[in-house]
Amino acid sequence: MAKLKQINHSPKTYLTAIGLEKLQIELDELKTIKRHDISDRISRARELGDVAENAEYDAALDEQALVENRISDLEQALRQAKVIKNEVVQHEIVTIGSTIMVEMDGEVDQFTIVGRVEANPAKKLISNESPVGSALLGARIGETVEVATPIVRLRCKVLEIK
Amino acid sequence: MNEPIVKFDIDLSKLTANQKSVLKLLVEAAELIAPIYLEQENHNLPGSNFYPADVTKDQILEAAKEDPELLSPYTIVERDNGKLVAVPYHQKYAELLKPVAEKLQQAAELTDDKEFSQSLKVQAEVLLNGDYPKATQTWMEMKPYLLDVNIGPSERYDDKLMFIKTSYQAWVGVMDKVESARMTEYKDMILTARRKVLFSSEKVDYFDKVQTRVDDLVISTGLKARNLPVGTNLPNNFSLMEKLGSEITLFKQSNDLRTAKNRIVFNQLFSEQFKAEFSEEDLREGSLYSTALHELAHTYLRYRDSEKRLQDLFPVIDELAATVMGVKVCGALLVKDIVTQKQLESIMLAYMIRSFNNILNERDNPSRLHYTVGGAIFINYLRENGALKETGGVSWPNFMKMYVSVDELATILERILSQGTRSDAEHLITRYGSLSVFPKVVH
Repeated sequence: MAKLKQINHSPKTYLTAIGLEKLQIELDELKTIKRHDISDRISRARELGDVAENAEYDAALDEQALVENRISDLEQALRQAKVIKNEVVQHEIVTIGSTIMVEMDGEVDQFTIVGRVEANPAKKLISNESPVGSALLGARIGETVEVATPIVRLRCKVLEIK
Repeated sequence: MNEPIVKFDIDLSKLTANQKSVLKLLVEAAELIAPIYLEQENHNLPGSNFYPADVTKDQILEAAKEDPELLSPYTIVERDNGKLVAVPYHQKYAELLKPVAEKLQQAAELTDDKEFSQSLKVQAEVLLNGDYPKATQTWMEMKPYLLDVNIGPSERYDDKLMFIKTSYQAWVGVMDKVESARMTEYKDMILTARRKVLFSSEKVDYFDKVQTRVDDLVISTGLKARNLPVGTNLPNNFSLMEKLGSEITLFKQSNDLRTAKNRIVFNQLFSEQFKAEFSEEDLREGSLYSTALHELAHTYLRYRDSEKRLQDLFPVIDELAATVMGVKVCGALLVKDIVTQKQLESIMLAYMIRSFNNILNERDNPSRLHYTVGGAIFINYLRENGALKETGGVSWPNFMKMYVSVDELATILERILSQGTRSDAEHLITRYGSLSVFPKVVH
């Protein structure tokens, strides 16, 4: 059910200042710690002998591929990063970086709209490219927007912009 | 219908030697519950063996004015010199319960986890003294532990006369930590968005006290084995829910069995072109998460006096309402990019297939009747709205129309749960609950 976090390479990657810092820290850790840890694991697994039947060796190789992909994605995202400065985040209009309270389909919810790289719904960080994120950008307090996907159509009212 | 004891071979390699020994005792304890359940079960009588065979609902309600214990979920109603009397379960089944309690006590002494030991001791004591809320409280308050056991009278589905008396059941599970973490994340994403409720004063509110876990199922006995539900949501008592919250457990092995059954019906109902779009994994996850959303949605739908108003029809409305509300909530997850369109389609598809499976293969299973009728309402409502059509013996779902139907049906069902009467529920069931859906496919 959990979706793999994928980074699509559109020209700009919108990030809040905090998001930028987090991605940089993640990249540093992957390059300086994780990459070496996996390299060590591969070496140790090789020393065990025949790699053809070596589960630890296979697992380490798989993890290495995931880590290198993530490093590549993060480097590209950071190269294209456009940081949303705090002073640009308004309280009258929904922008990337806005924390908003909305009423949608009978439920009241609060979340922050962030660039897709920073999106983490479990922490109430919703992508600006999600159906609700893209529909809400530019909306004002009290305004109702329609959020549409091929299956689901919902009306979403902005109650508060923080 | 399954046997009253169902066991699964699961991978126990991550358990310590101590945990394996404890698990063995718990499985033995669970097995001993089956004979007690068989004494209660009687599908020839609406009230099973909970009441005298010839007693009427009105006679019980009249007698209960003098002796309220007749309406306790934990008493058998018997006749003593013509008078209706209530016999507590722990006395009625004392001889059969004693060895169960002994096994739990042995497991409590053996386990090296102090909190689990305490929970087992309480469960053992309660089987013999009838203080069931104490066992529930101890079980729910302990921090999540790898092993899980739940033994005692719990669900009321076999009491079709009054929907009051509980049947004995047991399960033993081993936590899948990865799946449990994912489930907890979904729970947090769903329950932090507060739904507006129709009658807030009547709503039982325990959003912040819902616990979830996903288990490998080792054994299921009693009523639980008959139905092998993919999910369970305890306690059933509203005042306990308000005080303690609820604990939702999903069982992977039950879901695998359900997916296998669903696959047969899926192959039977749909065109080759449609079938090619949904993999085995789509069906498995659709089924598991349709259940997860169903159980979480119950949290939105607990209205204090709904059981009293809807009486024997409460289970049909309650279970169907939770399912459609779960799908409706999933729409909000889709627009936030938390689930994909394919996942939402798989969840809707899973419930649709399960409904067909109940109608085709479970219509004679009295323990599942409320699910079967609820599924028929769902299917017939979809047909009326054009969300599901039959052409040349195969079915064609339109997922957009299906979601619109789900949205409408969720509103109708929540209204009945929050303020409707038995007559409202009966009207809906009469209009949409026919089991003669899609005659060409079904027969």
